[in-house]
Amino acid sequence: MAKKPSMGRQKIKIQKIEVKNHLQVTFSKRRSGLFKKASELCTLCGVEIGIIVFSPAGKVFSFGHPNVESIIDRFLTRNPVPNAHDPFHLVEAQRNASVRELNLQLGHILNEVEAERKRGESLDAMRKANQSHYWWESPISKLGLEQLEQVKVAMEDLKKNVNQQAANAVFMANRGGVFDHYETKPLPSHGSNINNIAAAAANGNFGYCHGFF
Amino acid sequence: MTRKKVKLAFISNDSARKATFKKRKKGLMKKVSELSTLCGIESCAIVYSPYESQPDVWPDARGAGRVLAQFKRMPEMEQSKKMVDQESFIRNRIAKAADQLKKLHMDNREKEVTHLMYHCLTGKGLHCLALPDLNDIAWMLDHNLKEIYKRIEAIRMDHAPPERTQQQHLFAEWMGNPGDQMGGDEDIIVPFNDTNSHASTIWSNVIFP
Repeated sequence: MAKKPSMGRQKIKIQKIEVKNHLQVTFSKRRSGLFKKASELCTLCGVEIGIIVFSPAGKVFSFGHPNVESIIDRFLTRNPVPNAHDPFHLVEAQRNASVRELNLQLGHILNEVEAERKRGESLDAMRKANQSHYWWESPISKLGLEQLEQVKVAMEDLKKNVNQQAANAVFMANRGGVFDHYETKPLPSHGSNINNIAAAAANGNFGYCHGFF
Repeated sequence: MTRKKVKLAFISNDSARKATFKKRKKGLMKKVSELSTLCGIESCAIVYSPYESQPDVWPDARGAGRVLAQFKRMPEMEQSKKMVDQESFIRNRIAKAADQLKKLHMDNREKEVTHLMYHCLTGKGLHCLALPDLNDIAWMLDHNLKEIYKRIEAIRMDHAPPERTQQQHLFAEWMGNPGDQMGGDEDIIVPFNDTNSHASTIWSNVIFP
Protein backbone atom coordinates (compact mmCIF):
# COMPACT_ATOMS: atom_id res chain seq x y z
CA MET A 1 0.00 0.00 0.00
CA ALA A 2 2.94 2.36 0.67
CA LYS A 3 3.86 4.68 -2.19
CA LYS A 4 7.34 4.35 -3.60
CA PRO A 5 9.33 7.45 -2.68
CA SER A 6 9.68 9.84 -5.62
CA MET A 7 13.04 10.59 -7.16
CA GLY A 8 13.26 14.00 -5.56
CA ARG A 9 14.84 17.01 -7.19
CA GLN A 10 16.84 16.05 -10.26
CA LYS A 11 18.93 18.53 -12.17
CA ILE A 12 18.03 18.49 -15.85
CA LYS A 13 19.38 20.13 -18.92
CA ILE A 14 17.25 22.87 -20.39
CA GLN A 15 16.53 21.43 -23.79
CA LYS A 16 13.50 19.89 -25.40
CA ILE A 17 12.50 16.70 -23.60
CA GLU A 18 12.65 13.68 -25.86
CA VAL A 19 10.29 11.24 -24.15
CA LYS A 20 6.72 12.32 -24.85
CA ASN A 21 5.40 11.07 -21.54
CA HIS A 22 8.07 12.94 -19.56
CA LEU A 23 7.35 16.02 -21.60
CA GLN A 24 3.68 15.95 -20.77
CA VAL A 25 4.26 15.35 -17.07
CA THR A 26 6.85 18.11 -16.96
CA PHE A 27 4.53 20.49 -18.72
CA SER A 28 1.72 19.79 -16.30
CA LYS A 29 3.85 20.21 -13.20
CA ARG A 30 5.82 23.22 -14.35
CA ARG A 31 2.82 25.05 -15.70
CA SER A 32 1.12 24.65 -12.34
CA GLY A 33 4.25 25.80 -10.53
CA LEU A 34 4.59 28.77 -12.84
CA PHE A 35 1.07 29.95 -12.11
CA LYS A 36 1.72 29.45 -8.42
CA LYS A 37 4.80 31.67 -8.57
CA ALA A 38 2.90 34.28 -10.54
CA SER A 39 0.07 34.26 -8.02
CA GLU A 40 2.52 34.67 -5.16
CA LEU A 41 4.24 37.56 -6.90
CA CYS A 42 0.90 39.28 -7.33
CA THR A 43 0.03 38.90 -3.67
CA LEU A 44 3.45 39.77 -2.27
CA CYS A 45 4.14 42.79 -4.43
CA GLY A 46 0.73 43.92 -5.57
CA VAL A 47 1.59 43.75 -9.28
CA GLU A 48 -0.46 42.78 -12.32
CA ILE A 49 0.56 39.76 -14.37
CA GLY A 50 -0.63 37.87 -17.40
CA ILE A 51 0.75 34.53 -18.58
CA ILE A 52 -0.30 32.53 -21.61
CA VAL A 53 0.93 28.99 -22.19
CA PHE A 54 0.15 26.61 -25.03
CA SER A 55 0.21 22.94 -24.10
CA PRO A 56 1.96 20.25 -26.16
CA ALA A 57 -1.52 19.12 -27.17
CA GLY A 58 -2.44 22.57 -28.43
CA LYS A 59 -4.73 23.62 -25.59
CA VAL A 60 -4.12 27.01 -24.03
CA PHE A 61 -3.71 27.77 -20.33
CA SER A 62 -3.71 31.31 -19.04
CA PHE A 63 -3.30 33.06 -15.74
CA GLY A 64 -4.09 36.71 -15.16
CA HIS A 65 -4.27 39.10 -12.27
CA PRO A 66 -6.64 40.87 -12.00
CA ASN A 67 -7.73 38.87 -15.06
CA VAL A 68 -6.27 37.72 -18.36
CA GLU A 69 -8.42 39.90 -20.61
CA SER A 70 -7.57 43.17 -18.89
CA ILE A 71 -3.85 42.44 -19.09
CA ILE A 72 -4.08 41.56 -22.79
CA ASP A 73 -6.09 44.71 -23.53
CA ARG A 74 -3.71 46.84 -21.55
CA PHE A 75 -0.73 45.39 -23.38
CA LEU A 76 -2.19 45.58 -26.86
CA THR A 77 -3.68 49.04 -26.63
CA ARG A 78 -0.68 50.34 -24.74
CA ASN A 79 -2.89 52.65 -22.77
CA PRO A 80 -1.52 54.44 -19.75
CA VAL A 81 -2.23 52.93 -16.33
CA PRO A 82 -5.90 53.33 -15.35
CA ASN A 83 -6.69 55.87 -12.66
CA ALA A 84 -6.47 54.49 -9.13
CA HIS A 85 -9.37 56.61 -7.95
CA ASP A 86 -11.97 55.01 -10.12
CA PRO A 87 -14.85 53.00 -8.59
CA PHE A 88 -13.17 49.67 -9.42
CA HIS A 89 -10.72 50.28 -6.62
CA LEU A 90 -13.31 48.87 -4.26
CA VAL A 91 -13.73 45.77 -6.38
CA GLU A 92 -10.01 45.21 -6.28
CA ALA A 93 -9.93 45.54 -2.50
CA GLN A 94 -12.67 42.96 -2.20
CA ARG A 95 -10.91 40.62 -4.56
CA ASN A 96 -7.70 40.88 -2.60
CA ALA A 97 -9.59 40.15 0.61
CA SER A 98 -11.08 36.95 -0.78
CA VAL A 99 -7.70 35.91 -2.15
CA ARG A 100 -6.30 36.38 1.32
CA GLU A 101 -9.04 34.19 2.73
CA LEU A 102 -8.45 31.54 0.12
CA ASN A 103 -4.73 31.51 0.69
CA LEU A 104 -5.34 30.99 4.40
CA GLN A 105 -7.70 28.14 3.64
CA LEU A 106 -5.18 26.61 1.27
CA GLY A 107 -2.38 26.89 3.79
CA HIS A 108 -4.53 25.24 6.40
CA ILE A 109 -5.48 22.30 4.23
CA LEU A 110 -1.91 21.82 3.01
CA ASN A 111 -0.83 21.56 6.64
CA GLU A 112 -3.45 18.89 7.20
CA VAL A 113 -2.22 16.97 4.16
CA GLU A 114 1.32 17.11 5.47
CA ALA A 115 0.20 15.91 8.90
CA GLU A 116 -1.68 12.97 7.41
CA ARG A 117 1.30 12.09 5.28
CA LYS A 118 3.54 12.02 8.32
CA ARG A 119 1.00 9.90 10.16
CA GLY A 120 1.00 7.47 7.28
CA GLU A 121 4.76 7.23 7.43
CA SER A 122 4.82 6.44 11.12
CA LEU A 123 2.08 3.85 10.65
CA ASP A 124 4.17 2.26 7.92
CA ALA A 125 7.21 2.22 10.17
CA MET A 126 5.23 0.60 12.95
CA ARG A 127 3.91 -2.04 10.59
CA LYS A 128 7.37 -2.79 9.29
CA ALA A 129 8.73 -3.14 12.82
CA ASN A 130 5.91 -5.49 13.77
CA GLN A 131 6.45 -7.62 10.69
CA SER A 132 10.03 -8.27 11.64
CA HIS A 133 8.92 -9.50 15.07
CA TYR A 134 5.72 -11.38 14.36
CA TRP A 135 5.59 -13.79 11.48
CA TRP A 136 1.81 -13.73 11.30
CA GLU A 137 1.85 -10.08 10.35
CA SER A 138 3.81 -10.79 7.20
CA PRO A 139 1.99 -10.23 3.91
CA ILE A 140 -0.16 -13.16 2.96
CA SER A 141 1.79 -13.84 -0.19
CA LYS A 142 4.88 -14.56 1.88
CA LEU A 143 3.35 -17.17 4.16
CA GLY A 144 3.62 -20.90 3.71
CA LEU A 145 0.65 -23.21 3.65
CA GLU A 146 0.70 -24.23 7.27
CA GLN A 147 1.24 -20.69 8.42
CA LEU A 148 -1.70 -19.62 6.32
CA GLU A 149 -3.85 -22.28 7.91
CA GLN A 150 -2.90 -21.06 11.36
CA VAL A 151 -3.59 -17.44 10.59
CA LYS A 152 -6.83 -18.44 8.94
CA VAL A 153 -8.05 -20.19 12.06
CA ALA A 154 -7.00 -17.32 14.29
CA MET A 155 -8.75 -14.77 12.12
CA GLU A 156 -11.92 -16.81 11.86
CA ASP A 157 -11.90 -17.07 15.62
CA LEU A 158 -11.34 -13.36 16.06
CA LYS A 159 -14.08 -12.61 13.62
CA LYS A 160 -16.52 -14.54 15.76
CA ASN A 161 -15.42 -12.63 18.83
CA VAL A 162 -15.60 -9.29 17.09
CA ASN A 163 -19.11 -9.93 15.85
CA GLN A 164 -20.13 -10.98 19.32
CA GLN A 165 -18.58 -7.88 20.82
CA ALA A 166 -20.27 -5.70 18.22
CA ALA A 167 -23.63 -7.27 18.91
CA ASN A 168 -23.12 -6.58 22.61
CA ALA A 169 -22.24 -3.00 21.92
CA VAL A 170 -25.36 -2.46 19.84
CA PHE A 171 -27.47 -4.13 22.50
CA MET A 172 -26.00 -1.95 25.24
CA ALA A 173 -26.52 1.18 23.20
CA ASN A 174 -30.12 0.42 22.41
CA ARG A 175 -30.87 -0.65 25.94
CA GLY A 176 -30.24 2.51 27.87
CA GLY A 177 -29.80 5.07 25.12
CA VAL A 178 -26.42 5.75 26.67
CA PHE A 179 -23.96 6.72 23.99
CA ASP A 180 -20.81 6.86 25.96
CA HIS A 181 -18.31 5.73 23.42
CA TYR A 182 -19.89 6.59 20.12
CA GLU A 183 -21.62 9.81 19.27
CA THR A 184 -22.77 9.11 15.72
CA LYS A 185 -25.27 6.62 14.43
CA PRO A 186 -24.01 3.04 14.39
CA LEU A 187 -22.31 2.09 11.17
CA PRO A 188 -23.74 -0.67 8.98
CA SER A 189 -22.71 -4.21 9.78
CA HIS A 190 -19.36 -5.64 8.95
CA GLY A 191 -20.14 -5.48 5.27
CA SER A 192 -19.19 -1.80 5.40
CA ASN A 193 -16.71 -0.73 2.80
CA ILE A 194 -13.69 1.44 3.26
CA ASN A 195 -15.62 4.61 2.37
CA ASN A 196 -17.69 4.31 5.48
CA ILE A 197 -14.49 3.79 7.37
CA ALA A 198 -13.28 7.11 6.06
CA ALA A 199 -16.49 8.77 7.18
CA ALA A 200 -16.07 7.28 10.62
CA ALA A 201 -12.51 8.47 10.74
CA ALA A 202 -13.61 11.94 9.80
CA ASN A 203 -16.08 11.87 12.68
CA GLY A 204 -13.30 10.98 15.07
CA ASN A 205 -14.77 7.71 16.28
CA PHE A 206 -11.72 6.24 17.88
CA GLY A 207 -13.29 5.10 21.10
CA TYR A 208 -10.29 3.39 22.63
CA CYS A 209 -9.94 3.11 26.36
CA HIS A 210 -6.25 3.76 26.11
CA GLY A 211 -4.57 5.29 23.09
CA PHE A 212 -2.77 2.85 20.86
CA PHE A 213 -1.66 5.58 18.57
CA MET B 1 20.63 32.08 0.41
CA THR B 2 18.45 31.41 3.43
CA ARG B 3 15.12 29.69 2.95
CA LYS B 4 12.85 31.43 5.40
CA LYS B 5 9.17 30.82 4.98
CA VAL B 6 7.61 33.99 3.56
CA LYS B 7 4.16 34.97 4.70
CA LEU B 8 1.87 35.14 1.69
CA ALA B 9 0.71 38.73 2.18
CA PHE B 10 1.39 42.11 0.65
CA ILE B 11 4.84 43.27 1.74
CA SER B 12 4.29 46.59 3.41
CA ASN B 13 7.93 47.57 3.64
CA ASP B 14 8.63 49.43 0.37
CA SER B 15 12.27 48.48 -0.10
CA ALA B 16 11.71 44.86 0.88
CA ARG B 17 8.82 44.72 -1.55
CA LYS B 18 10.86 46.17 -4.39
CA ALA B 19 13.72 43.75 -3.70
CA THR B 20 11.37 40.79 -3.61
CA PHE B 21 9.74 41.95 -6.79
CA LYS B 22 13.02 42.15 -8.67
CA LYS B 23 14.13 38.70 -7.54
CA ARG B 24 10.87 36.93 -8.07
CA LYS B 25 10.14 38.56 -11.38
CA LYS B 26 13.52 37.40 -12.64
CA GLY B 27 12.77 33.90 -11.38
CA LEU B 28 9.35 33.93 -13.00
CA MET B 29 10.76 34.88 -16.39
CA LYS B 30 13.35 32.15 -16.07
CA LYS B 31 10.63 29.61 -15.34
CA VAL B 32 8.57 30.65 -18.35
CA SER B 33 11.61 30.37 -20.55
CA GLU B 34 12.48 26.92 -19.21
CA LEU B 35 8.94 25.69 -19.68
CA SER B 36 8.95 26.80 -23.29
CA THR B 37 12.27 25.16 -24.06
CA LEU B 38 11.72 21.91 -22.16
CA CYS B 39 8.31 21.29 -23.63
CA GLY B 40 8.75 22.95 -26.98
CA ILE B 41 5.72 25.18 -26.58
CA GLU B 42 4.77 28.80 -27.17
CA SER B 43 4.18 31.08 -24.21
CA CYS B 44 4.47 34.64 -22.99
CA ALA B 45 4.51 36.53 -19.72
CA ILE B 46 3.59 40.16 -19.09
CA VAL B 47 4.33 41.87 -15.80
CA TYR B 48 3.15 45.36 -14.90
CA SER B 49 4.66 47.07 -11.90
CA PRO B 50 4.66 50.51 -10.28
CA TYR B 51 8.43 50.57 -10.71
CA GLU B 52 8.47 50.76 -14.48
CA SER B 53 6.31 52.54 -17.00
CA GLN B 54 6.64 49.73 -19.51
CA PRO B 55 5.69 46.15 -18.68
CA ASP B 56 8.34 43.47 -18.36
CA VAL B 57 7.71 40.99 -21.13
CA TRP B 58 8.92 37.51 -22.05
CA PRO B 59 10.17 36.63 -24.57
CA ASP B 60 9.96 40.25 -25.82
CA ALA B 61 7.22 42.58 -27.00
CA ARG B 62 7.14 41.10 -30.50
CA GLY B 63 7.20 37.48 -29.32
CA ALA B 64 4.46 38.19 -26.79
CA GLY B 65 2.41 39.90 -29.46
CA ARG B 66 2.67 36.79 -31.62
CA VAL B 67 1.51 34.53 -28.80
CA LEU B 68 -1.36 36.87 -27.97
CA ALA B 69 -2.46 36.88 -31.60
CA GLN B 70 -2.37 33.09 -31.60
CA PHE B 71 -4.39 33.12 -28.40
CA LYS B 72 -7.02 35.45 -29.82
CA ARG B 73 -7.36 33.31 -32.93
CA MET B 74 -8.64 30.45 -30.79
CA PRO B 75 -12.37 30.05 -30.27
CA GLU B 76 -13.71 31.95 -27.28
CA MET B 77 -14.53 28.76 -25.42
CA GLU B 78 -11.06 27.33 -25.82
CA GLN B 79 -9.58 30.56 -24.53
CA SER B 80 -11.64 30.60 -21.36
CA LYS B 81 -11.67 26.88 -20.63
CA LYS B 82 -8.33 26.91 -18.85
CA MET B 83 -8.29 30.57 -17.96
CA VAL B 84 -7.79 31.39 -14.31
CA ASP B 85 -7.34 34.36 -12.09
CA GLN B 86 -5.91 34.25 -8.59
CA GLU B 87 -9.17 33.26 -6.95
CA SER B 88 -10.04 30.41 -9.27
CA PHE B 89 -6.46 29.21 -9.32
CA ILE B 90 -6.32 28.98 -5.54
CA ARG B 91 -9.75 27.38 -5.40
CA ASN B 92 -8.54 24.65 -7.75
CA ARG B 93 -5.52 24.04 -5.55
CA ILE B 94 -7.75 23.80 -2.50
CA ALA B 95 -9.97 21.26 -4.25
CA LYS B 96 -6.96 19.16 -5.25
CA ALA B 97 -5.58 19.31 -1.72
CA ALA B 98 -8.96 18.28 -0.32
CA ASP B 99 -8.99 15.21 -2.58
CA GLN B 100 -5.47 14.36 -1.51
CA LEU B 101 -6.45 14.69 2.15
CA LYS B 102 -9.44 12.43 1.72
CA LYS B 103 -7.33 9.73 0.12
CA LEU B 104 -4.69 9.99 2.83
CA HIS B 105 -7.38 9.73 5.50
CA MET B 106 -8.66 6.54 3.94
CA ASP B 107 -5.23 5.03 3.53
CA ASN B 108 -4.28 5.86 7.09
CA ARG B 109 -7.50 4.52 8.49
CA GLU B 110 -6.89 1.27 6.64
CA LYS B 111 -3.41 1.05 8.14
CA GLU B 112 -4.80 1.82 11.58
CA VAL B 113 -7.47 -0.84 11.36
CA THR B 114 -4.92 -3.39 10.17
CA HIS B 115 -2.79 -2.62 13.19
CA LEU B 116 -5.82 -2.93 15.46
CA MET B 117 -6.74 -6.22 13.89
CA TYR B 118 -3.33 -7.76 14.46
CA HIS B 119 -3.33 -6.42 17.98
CA CYS B 120 -6.63 -8.13 18.71
CA LEU B 121 -5.45 -11.27 16.97
CA THR B 122 -3.14 -11.92 19.87
CA GLY B 123 -6.12 -11.88 22.17
CA LYS B 124 -5.84 -8.43 23.66
CA GLY B 125 -8.12 -5.47 24.08
CA LEU B 126 -11.24 -6.44 22.20
CA HIS B 127 -13.62 -5.27 24.92
CA CYS B 128 -12.11 -1.82 24.87
CA LEU B 129 -13.15 -0.96 21.36
CA ALA B 130 -16.11 1.02 20.18
CA LEU B 131 -18.53 -0.08 17.54
CA PRO B 132 -17.01 1.67 14.52
CA ASP B 133 -13.63 0.08 15.20
CA LEU B 134 -15.21 -3.32 15.70
CA ASN B 135 -17.03 -3.02 12.40
CA ASP B 136 -13.89 -1.97 10.61
CA ILE B 137 -11.88 -4.81 12.12
CA ALA B 138 -14.57 -7.24 11.03
CA TRP B 139 -14.31 -5.85 7.50
CA MET B 140 -10.54 -6.14 7.54
CA LEU B 141 -10.75 -9.72 8.77
CA ASP B 142 -13.13 -10.59 5.95
CA HIS B 143 -10.80 -8.97 3.47
CA ASN B 144 -7.78 -10.83 4.76
CA LEU B 145 -9.59 -14.14 5.01
CA LYS B 146 -10.68 -13.83 1.42
CA GLU B 147 -7.08 -13.39 0.39
CA ILE B 148 -5.98 -16.27 2.57
CA TYR B 149 -8.57 -18.62 1.09
CA LYS B 150 -7.47 -17.60 -2.37
CA ARG B 151 -3.83 -18.12 -1.54
CA ILE B 152 -4.41 -21.50 0.07
CA GLU B 153 -6.40 -22.54 -2.97
CA ALA B 154 -3.64 -21.36 -5.26
CA ILE B 155 -1.00 -23.32 -3.37
CA ARG B 156 -3.13 -26.44 -3.38
CA MET B 157 -3.67 -26.09 -7.13
CA ASP B 158 0.04 -25.75 -7.73
CA HIS B 159 0.82 -28.96 -5.92
CA ALA B 160 -2.24 -30.94 -6.86
CA PRO B 161 -1.87 -33.59 -9.55
CA PRO B 162 -3.32 -32.69 -12.95
CA GLU B 163 -6.99 -33.51 -13.52
CA ARG B 164 -7.44 -37.19 -14.26
CA THR B 165 -10.31 -39.10 -15.69
CA GLN B 166 -11.28 -42.37 -14.08
CA GLN B 167 -9.53 -44.30 -16.80
CA GLN B 168 -6.33 -42.38 -16.55
CA HIS B 169 -6.40 -42.90 -12.82
CA LEU B 170 -6.73 -46.62 -13.17
CA PHE B 171 -4.08 -46.67 -15.87
CA ALA B 172 -1.64 -44.85 -13.61
CA GLU B 173 -2.38 -47.32 -10.84
CA TRP B 174 -1.80 -50.21 -13.15
CA MET B 175 1.48 -48.64 -14.24
CA GLY B 176 2.53 -48.56 -10.62
CA ASN B 177 2.70 -44.91 -9.67
CA PRO B 178 1.59 -44.99 -6.08
CA GLY B 179 2.77 -41.55 -5.02
CA ASP B 180 0.62 -39.59 -7.44
CA GLN B 181 -2.62 -40.29 -5.70
CA MET B 182 -1.85 -38.21 -2.66
CA GLY B 183 -2.60 -34.49 -2.63
CA GLY B 184 1.02 -33.78 -1.90
CA ASP B 185 0.18 -31.23 0.76
CA GLU B 186 2.37 -32.90 3.28
CA ASP B 187 5.37 -31.90 1.25
CA ILE B 188 4.75 -28.25 1.64
CA ILE B 189 5.31 -27.76 5.33
CA VAL B 190 7.21 -24.55 5.45
CA PRO B 191 9.61 -24.27 8.29
CA PHE B 192 9.11 -21.10 10.24
CA ASN B 193 11.26 -19.38 12.74
CA ASP B 194 9.03 -19.02 15.72
CA THR B 195 9.51 -21.33 18.64
CA ASN B 196 6.18 -23.04 18.33
CA SER B 197 5.00 -25.26 15.53
CA HIS B 198 2.25 -27.22 17.22
CA ALA B 199 -0.94 -26.37 15.43
CA SER B 200 -3.11 -27.26 18.39
CA THR B 201 -1.65 -24.72 20.79
CA ILE B 202 -1.18 -21.84 18.39
CA TRP B 203 -2.81 -18.95 20.07
CA SER B 204 -2.21 -19.74 23.69
CA ASN B 205 -0.47 -17.16 25.84
CA VAL B 206 2.72 -19.15 25.79
CA ILE B 207 3.51 -18.11 22.25
CA PHE B 208 2.83 -14.43 22.30
CA PRO B 209 5.13 -12.42 24.49
